[in-house]
Amino acid sequence: MKRSCRNWNVRQHRKPMNKLVALALLIVAAVAGAADLPPLGHRMSPMSQPVAAPEFTLPDMDGENHALSDFRGKVVMLNFWATWCPPCRREMPSMQRLYEKFRERGLVVVAVNQFEDPDLVFEFTGRLSLEPTFPILFDRESRISEQYRVRGLPTTYLIDRQGTIRYQAIGGREFDHPDVEKLIEGLL
Amino acid sequence: MQKNLSKARMLSVLLLAGGAVQAADDPITTASDPETGIRSWKYEGNGLGIEFVQVPPDFIRASYSARGLPASVSEAVASRCVFGTIVRNLSDKPLSYRVADWRYLKADGVELPIKTKSEWLKEWHAMGVRFSWSILADEPTFQVGDWIQGFTTMAEPHGSLVSLKVVWSIEGERYEKVMPKLECAPAPETDE
Repeated sequence: MKRSCRNWNVRQHRKPMNKLVALALLIVAAVAGAADLPPLGHRMSPMSQPVAAPEFTLPDMDGENHALSDFRGKVVMLNFWATWCPPCRREMPSMQRLYEKFRERGLVVVAVNQFEDPDLVFEFTGRLSLEPTFPILFDRESRISEQYRVRGLPTTYLIDRQGTIRYQAIGGREFDHPDVEKLIEGLL
Repeated sequence: MQKNLSKARMLSVLLLAGGAVQAADDPITTASDPETGIRSWKYEGNGLGIEFVQVPPDFIRASYSARGLPASVSEAVASRCVFGTIVRNLSDKPLSYRVADWRYLKADGVELPIKTKSEWLKEWHAMGVRFSWSILADEPTFQVGDWIQGFTTMAEPHGSLVSLKVVWSIEGERYEKVMPKLECAPAPETDE
């Protein structure tokens, strides 16, 4: 069975989370807890100079390749993230809610993971309150994030139906906020 | 600025401030996590929000090892004084900074640059490690509402005190703020 089609039974039979990974996540939580993490905003900024989104092809959790051009004609929310990044984890459920609300009208959410192993990400997503059903792709050597000049995680771009980057956000956001939805409506 | 700042430190801080627009004397707040003892320092003023959080060396080792990074990479970072750093644009205009402009001041008054993300990545890539994350972005421009986090690293022993001069600009206006007496995370007991 594909990981992208997994159910609870599949998850129950997966190996337990690596102890080192669990320890790392625990300490990440401790360090993050010590900081007064900023609230997730809901503003995406228009690009001062809209540019064509660089084309890429990346594998998903099942090893199947996806190209950005596969989504041409749709509005694409392209999110660069990693499990160790606290705001990435915080914003992911809101991306799923946004995806559920707009996918029938032509929104695609694509989450491009940085550097991590699909096994680790599989474990992580299974523990989210709202499990992502949008594609999660793997940029193991961060070559695509370099093409997009990503400075930090998370970074999110909104790409219009013609393949032009129209909006961006650095740092975590509540993507199902009306302000973001209004931008999506404007691109659909 | 803390009341018990020594005269020498005060002089050094004032010297550091020369040549740039000094940020208003907005307060720096400190906190300590009751469970972990991890300390943090936070400043908000002139459009910038910035927070420094102690990062214990064991955290760095565990986090990097979990990503499969070689011990040489994790030890190079873990051996340093590291602060988790959260930077926010609180203004209504684009904000930018260059870590290369930041300086830290040792207890003996020596002023030193901070190793930038670009410098770290150059080392890691030369070692064949394509990991590009965890270190604070060194030359970003933040639009309204943007924020970021990452490690700030200084070649100082665990437990030492440093003052850190942060520099940023908004529409060509340059600001700076000295964060005095940041305490590097202590060494783990087993290392002593």
